[in-house]
Amino acid sequence: MLNVIDNSGAAVAECVKVLKMDRHAKIGDRIIVVIQKQRTFGPESSPSSSKTSTSSVAAANKVRRGDIRHAVVVRTKKKYQRPDGSVVGFEDNACVLINKGGEPIGTRLSGVVGREVGGRGWSKILSLAGLQV
Amino acid sequence: MSLSAPVRPLACIRQAIRQCRTERQQTRRYAAPATEVEYPSLQTRYPPPTPGFRPSQAIKQNRFETGLKKIPVVPPPRSTTKACPDPISILTNKQISVLDPTGARTRLFSPANPERVQPGDILVVRLRTGDPVSGVVLNIRQRHQPIDTAILLRNQLTRVGVEVWFKVYSPNVEGIEVVQRAVKRARRAKLYYMRQPRHDVGSVEGVVKQYLRQRSGGPLGNREANTGRKTGSKKGRK
Repeated sequence: MLNVIDNSGAAVAECVKVLKMDRHAKIGDRIIVVIQKQRTFGPESSPSSSKTSTSSVAAANKVRRGDIRHAVVVRTKKKYQRPDGSVVGFEDNACVLINKGGEPIGTRLSGVVGREVGGRGWSKILSLAGLQV
Repeated sequence: MSLSAPVRPLACIRQAIRQCRTERQQTRRYAAPATEVEYPSLQTRYPPPTPGFRPSQAIKQNRFETGLKKIPVVPPPRSTTKACPDPISILTNKQISVLDPTGARTRLFSPANPERVQPGDILVVRLRTGDPVSGVVLNIRQRHQPIDTAILLRNQLTRVGVEVWFKVYSPNVEGIEVVQRAVKRARRAKLYYMRQPRHDVGSVEGVVKQYLRQRSGGPLGNREANTGRKTGSKKGRK
């Protein structure tokens, strides 16, 4: 289960396949996910999602629960070592949804992403992200 | 002899006498043992040993091996432990002198320093590549030698906990500054309980920002410890 940190409308996704790999996914790996939970933009929405004024839930959500989508891992709980010797770990696993062509579905990212995302060819996601570690 | 005989007859006589004497001696020598030996069957063919003769000595002398030449043996190498009793510490000191010429960082983490960094302090690590990273020190790890010293910083960025290990002597680390001392000395060496939500200090961004503002505004000298303590007291009152 991963958190989805873009504004595509998904909140939680489940990884069903790591593409081109026999191992677990790391930061920057492309995976296939099933959307398990939708983000709700209403009165109970978290303050991080600034789309409180959106009138209809369906209009904001580009994806629905049960959709099978591609995604890129941007944060992992598992600590990983950088070439300079420092080690970085996050508190959760998170991903960003992309379409088949590799373009991010959402237009904004909320939250920090690992810097390795850019090195793996996802510089677009890195530029969307507000913070990188 | 034939030539000299007619000239000097006495010389010839003298020689004759000498010959006679030798002949007589020879005959006596041959004849003597035959007459002296009582039990010929006990007599050996060889003369008896000299009075100082010792059989063991003789055997040793006549052994085959004594005749062989000595094989040259390579002497054992010099003992390295004697030459350099503690090479690791020498290597460590050399590395530290290269990576930390001023000794400031060594002092910041030396156990002898009462003002050293302790778990619970808030630090800013300035990097040569990338933005400075700040966080609460959860753990100070020294694996084998002081050169391996590393710190674990925890912070919250956009409400996501981030933990980063830094090697203190890494060439990538430009500087380490103490932003705020722990209000109370932590009673544990490893503050992993701070990962739990009820103990989490949350984001240290505000504290760090205040510290940076004070630092830029204040005088440039001896800013580190003083400002750090000031912010600490303020934080404690809050």
